[in-house]
Amino acid sequence: MEMPDTFQVHGFMSQALILTDHNDFFGPSSRDTGSLEYTELGLNASFRPRSNVLVAGQVLSRKAGGYGDAWQPTLDYGVIDYQLLSEEERVLGLQVGRFKNPFGIYNQTRDVPSTRAGILLPQSIYFDRSRSLGLASDGITVYDEERFSKGTLYVQGGLGIPQVNGDAEISLSPTKPSLDGQLSTILQLLYAHDGGRINLGVSAARVRSAFQSRQNPSARGDFIFQPVILSAQYNAERWSLTAEYEYQHKELRNFDNDIYNAVTDGESWYVQYQFRLTPDWQWLLRYDQTVSDRNDREGKRYASDGRGPSYSRFARDLTTGIRWSPSSRWMVQAEWHHVDGTAWLPRQDNESDEETVRRWNMLLFQTSYSF
Amino acid sequence: MVDQHCGSAAVNFGVERVLGDEQTNNKLPGDRVAGLHDMRQSLIACLCLVAALLFTVKSRGDDPMVVLIANPSVIQTSLSLETVRAIFAMRQRTLADGQAVHVFVLPDGAPLHEAFAKKILGVYPHQLRLAWDRAVFSGTGQAPNEVATASAMLEAVASTPGGIGYAYRSELTNQVRVLDIE
Repeated sequence: MEMPDTFQVHGFMSQALILTDHNDFFGPSSRDTGSLEYTELGLNASFRPRSNVLVAGQVLSRKAGGYGDAWQPTLDYGVIDYQLLSEEERVLGLQVGRFKNPFGIYNQTRDVPSTRAGILLPQSIYFDRSRSLGLASDGITVYDEERFSKGTLYVQGGLGIPQVNGDAEISLSPTKPSLDGQLSTILQLLYAHDGGRINLGVSAARVRSAFQSRQNPSARGDFIFQPVILSAQYNAERWSLTAEYEYQHKELRNFDNDIYNAVTDGESWYVQYQFRLTPDWQWLLRYDQTVSDRNDREGKRYASDGRGPSYSRFARDLTTGIRWSPSSRWMVQAEWHHVDGTAWLPRQDNESDEETVRRWNMLLFQTSYSF
Repeated sequence: MVDQHCGSAAVNFGVERVLGDEQTNNKLPGDRVAGLHDMRQSLIACLCLVAALLFTVKSRGDDPMVVLIANPSVIQTSLSLETVRAIFAMRQRTLADGQAVHVFVLPDGAPLHEAFAKKILGVYPHQLRLAWDRAVFSGTGQAPNEVATASAMLEAVASTPGGIGYAYRSELTNQVRVLDIE
């Protein structure tokens, strides 16, 4: 019996130029010549050895300014996907290996330019400076699709060890405590109505890691990151409207010295409008906001405690951008951000929180190719 | 329901609800007329019509009939709309009897692809493209097989067990089967 080859290879690459008036984002962007230190390369392969099995893996090599793993190729995901059930009304399957965390609308393909709305994703929720926290897990995930007459419900639950790296350590505190990922859980419910005209979702995760202070190694405990995201999207032929809200619960606990045990609840949200002027041209408008501590929205208490500038505890980002897709493979984008606050500004690129500027502007250009 | 559709088209200035209305209209011809009983609704209907004239390049009537086709090895005679959507979004890899599905599509801008996506699946080509990119780059699925022309599509589906695609009804051959969508 003649069967088409199910072996596929796909990839993407991108190069950006970033210019800022103050503060550095992904490299020395505040220099006159800007920063070219944002490059992404991805290559994946997949095949279906049996009708109900998919084997897929992707290697990612990335440079993003001072972010820790410059160019080092990493296994982005590597899974064996087995569909136990594939019926008219239901698909039930599981993935074993390193799977991408189903988190909000964009997380699973956050490094793939063609799937992002703009050059940067809304940093309040898809923060790049401590991205390893939510990227992927080594473990098992189960997914289920329930089809109704007018829509489909997707349910996915995962259990695994997250890739908590140095980026999360420096983002948690300038003193860079050691974090070691522990068994974590993730759950997503997504309802797509009428072929995805309306999408509604809830994602929740509990990311656990063992915390050890580098200044005082006897200070050991757990760092718990527990976000919940509500997602809503409307897709029309010429425009899409997307909004997401995230409640971020961060907790340090199980320390012998109670002074370390603390809870901080932050929140983030954005509203995003994409307008397709023509099939090749798209305009983006977005307002994105984050607050590191809901009980200290302006960061005043944080500043008066001498922990850093107040504006490092929030960020309000107004973004507009334009995208040109001369073909389904190529994309050229330009994007401007006007930001008040530095809550998601990478510490990896800025020597000290004190030397940052509260109000800053960022202009980005990016060319990308995927196949 | 019709009121809602027209209202959103007027406010949102989009052609998509107008297309939606056409589908609704086909299924429930009486509802639409019955719904238009006051001036506000008439006005909204007018705006819908204007939006349709402005933005709809082709009206449904001009479109040749588009059908879902499959290789003769596919035993099903019909599939539900949500299943067909899942197959073309590359989320359903096998049919209910366990046979592997092989999806064939034309390039994004091809009129037949656009017609199939919008009129049969009720989704836009940009949504399909995004769904494929998400599947391919997250390890949850594969990309469909892209063929260059409608005749290449017919050949590919005819020669691939488990092959699924689409065609103009007027160009059908007896090498492929037409599947009904419930």
